[in-house]
Amino acid sequence: MADTELEAAQEEADEPRAGGRVQSIAAGAVPVVLGGVAAWLSFGLNIGSLTEPGPGLWPLIVAGLLVASGIGIIAVTARSRRDTEAFTRGTIAVLAAAGGLAVYASLYEIVGFEVPTVLLMFAWLRFLSRESWLMSAILAVAVTAAAYALFIIGLNVPLPHVIVF
Amino acid sequence: MDFSSVLSGFTVAFEWQNILFCLLGVTVGMLIGVLPGLGPAATIAILLPVTYNLEPTAAVIMLAGIFYGAQYGGTITSVLLKLPGEASTVVTALDGHALARRGQAGPALGIAAIASFIGGTASIILLTFIAPALAGVALAFGPAEYTVLALIGIFLVGTLGNGSVIKSAAAAAAGLLLATVGLDPLLGTPRFTFGTDQLADGIDFTIVAMGLFGVGEILYNLEHRDRPQTGVPSFGRAIPSRLHWLQSRLAILRGSVTGFILGILPGGGATMSSLVAYAVEKRTAKDPSRFGKGAIEGVAGPESANNAAATSSFIPLLTLGIPANATMAVLFGALMLQGITPGPQLMSDHPDVFWGVVNSMYLGNILLLILSIPLIGLFVRMLKVRPGILAPITVVITMIGTYSIRNNAFDMLLVIGLGLLGYGMRKLGFEPGPFVLAFVLGSLLEASFRRSMRIFGGDVTEYVKQPVSGTLVAILVLTVVIVPLLRKVRTRQTAGAEAAGVKAD
Amino acid sequence: MQHPLPRRGLLAGLAALPPLAALSACQVQGGADEANASFPTRAVDFWVPFDAGGSGDLISRAVAKAAEEPLGESLPVTNKPGANGAVGLKELLAGKADGYTICLAVKSLFAIGPLVVDDPDAVTIDQLRIITTLTNEGYVLVVHADSPYQTLEDLLAATHVNYGTTGVGTGSQLSAGLLFGIAGVEATDVPFDGGGPTVTALLGKDIDAASLSLAETMPHIQAGDMRALCVFSEERSVYLNEVPTALEKDLNILVDQRRFIVVPADTPDDVVGVLTLAFEDAREGGEYGQFLQDNYMERWEVDGIEAQLHLAEATEQFAAQIAESGVELGTAE
Repeated sequence: MADTELEAAQEEADEPRAGGRVQSIAAGAVPVVLGGVAAWLSFGLNIGSLTEPGPGLWPLIVAGLLVASGIGIIAVTARSRRDTEAFTRGTIAVLAAAGGLAVYASLYEIVGFEVPTVLLMFAWLRFLSRESWLMSAILAVAVTAAAYALFIIGLNVPLPHVIVF
Repeated sequence: MDFSSVLSGFTVAFEWQNILFCLLGVTVGMLIGVLPGLGPAATIAILLPVTYNLEPTAAVIMLAGIFYGAQYGGTITSVLLKLPGEASTVVTALDGHALARRGQAGPALGIAAIASFIGGTASIILLTFIAPALAGVALAFGPAEYTVLALIGIFLVGTLGNGSVIKSAAAAAAGLLLATVGLDPLLGTPRFTFGTDQLADGIDFTIVAMGLFGVGEILYNLEHRDRPQTGVPSFGRAIPSRLHWLQSRLAILRGSVTGFILGILPGGGATMSSLVAYAVEKRTAKDPSRFGKGAIEGVAGPESANNAAATSSFIPLLTLGIPANATMAVLFGALMLQGITPGPQLMSDHPDVFWGVVNSMYLGNILLLILSIPLIGLFVRMLKVRPGILAPITVVITMIGTYSIRNNAFDMLLVIGLGLLGYGMRKLGFEPGPFVLAFVLGSLLEASFRRSMRIFGGDVTEYVKQPVSGTLVAILVLTVVIVPLLRKVRTRQTAGAEAAGVKAD
Repeated sequence: MQHPLPRRGLLAGLAALPPLAALSACQVQGGADEANASFPTRAVDFWVPFDAGGSGDLISRAVAKAAEEPLGESLPVTNKPGANGAVGLKELLAGKADGYTICLAVKSLFAIGPLVVDDPDAVTIDQLRIITTLTNEGYVLVVHADSPYQTLEDLLAATHVNYGTTGVGTGSQLSAGLLFGIAGVEATDVPFDGGGPTVTALLGKDIDAASLSLAETMPHIQAGDMRALCVFSEERSVYLNEVPTALEKDLNILVDQRRFIVVPADTPDDVVGVLTLAFEDAREGGEYGQFLQDNYMERWEVDGIEAQLHLAEATEQFAAQIAESGVELGTAE
């Protein structure tokens, strides 16, 4: 029982800061914009009619739903609810990680999976997780070797790779 | 039915080499189920050459083991890392991961394993006795029936969320929109493909689930990496307590039946089974608000359902020669390469193969249950690894898994993009669950609706006139309109009665 | 997989080489013959630009298995699905033209694809070189066994027909579309997502008829659940000898699916030669032959130039027939 209380207390302390009013409105504005763009693209696709639907009809309906719910969010949620989370400095780390992953994916078919995997693991461990240099280096190589053994030797998955036995 | 062939099937299944291949299959299956992205379809395709020199029965016993073994394994990553690799485990991730965060990962996985075992076994028993009769069920479902079924599913997605209803609706609409990417299902016109062939066939479901849930979760946790790591307080035992069992036994029973029936439908029935099971549990629960925060029934129901569905999805393949999903398509190929044509004549032409494979599943499920107990202990310990180390390992495995779906690097970029979307949604207060499930149901709904309208010549009333779709329309109206209305009336009455000092019911 | 078998295969492959190397010496001026003369020194990747489990995947696996011995190296099969094969072929063209990656291709992508979707970046047959041709799979028009239509004439006399197809831009859609278009029958096409769902819809009586491949329908025809009304090949199928061709009924429709293996067009001649020889050997194999028979496929074994010609002619022929019959395939805008 004491355990659960402790947990609850911790969870409360961890609760991220709620986003501001602007962000609450953005939560509704994003679907509206997205729906608007999709609707505009749908019109370029030939709508047809209800009995003879063209390729654009269903996307148009869905885009309409998206716009409607976005407007609903702005109307209802922006005033009463605080269910968004403020962006913090950590957001930069998120974007950096995504960018790093994109580079990783692009290198994959060019130089095989080994080198990019070691680099990605090392960079993530060292700079995002703040492990020591040594720990990062050892883990990066170990994980890559383990992945090689499991996927390429063990399961015979056709991954692009440069090391051949 | 000819019971002697059923019994001789047991003799086949229990030949020592078949037991060995069954063990091999379920072990590999469990392993690849744990590895996100690497699905049973890809694995079976990769392992096909290994089976060339095997006897047909042994080959199919092993390959089938990979398929249902993956269902057990998939639960583990869903619960521990919120990383569902299959449509069927998305729903499990909701309450399973919540339980894991409360330190109940052990019992959650324990119940999941037991639910999977019961669901799988019940489904084999039903399959043995009524498989031939049920082949017709698959055929009774045409475009019109799938339209109504998908519509029911979309409404059920609404019951998933805990947050604001309108935000769930927006997330679901966005999921439906993403499902339209690709060639128009009836006319072939490219829609939102931005001129690339890579998107012509649409986006694979696994990529959406892994991006929004798995990668999204990792990116989200990255933002708060400076916060003191609380970790998971206590792991709990792998063996669930009596209370857990009491809470989930009815859910398992209901889930098994739901899963068995929906699994027979070749066009997306199995995907819906876990969703329907979850919705049933949430609606029949005394306190629905527990769901999403770690209700054990929310794990037990869907898990028994998806394993029952996995087993019953063999029915259309073995009795009609129609593969119900991507994995069944590869199994179909494996049988063909062995010179055996799955279809109406399989049961009479090759009873040893048919019953040998079916009966090996009893053994496979027992093996999986035995394997699960120590493995769960092992995997739960994985949570003790510092999140900073676990995260990049998970990412690398997810990336490799993503690549293996189509052996395509473009898909890796997609999964990263969807991960960012999942992160952004979370920051803005949207839940990924409705998005992902609406994505699955979206293409089924649109394509089936348009197909059935063509067949009906544009006459909407046919949906009600056809017996099966008519029944489904009735169910839809009942669950979506009448039950909520009744509930509202009853709450009001109860409130009134309580005010009068009389206890209702 | 380093067993005695492949090694013996390597010897066989080398034995076949000398005349070929001499041939290539005349064609390639000053090329680094030594490097190519020993082709292949490692495994040759066999890409299948379709999902695992489909007909294309199965044929590839069967023929790859048979080609390992004559080639002397393994041929691991990798599925690269997407856009009726276009995704895999584009990746093939983006890679090295060294013969270490070969890819399956189908006729419908080249002969029907351009008629359905107007894609300026579409892969054309000139960018590729056919190393071997494999199969010819016919289409058969089927109805449910309980259907009132006993013969093709019955069906074509119907007032309205709903017919299922396996998707936009497939031979299934083209053959049935041409049939009803030329015969002037009012018909609605209902495209499904592949053969399996179309078979299900026909067995479930959701649609009246469908044109499907023999592999997809034969088990059901034999089980007495479906009735074949006509085939769309030039001659009657050896597997369905009692069923008439559309040609016999004075309907000028010839639609089939053919499969072949390609490499990028600028692959060296001697490399192509080695591969061609290996697959010629592979096609002779008994197991491959049995596989074709089990799957109701007919052999299509011609040389690369003839195959290329056939594909070019088929495109023109289909375009002319579509224009003549006024059939609409998808929304070619």
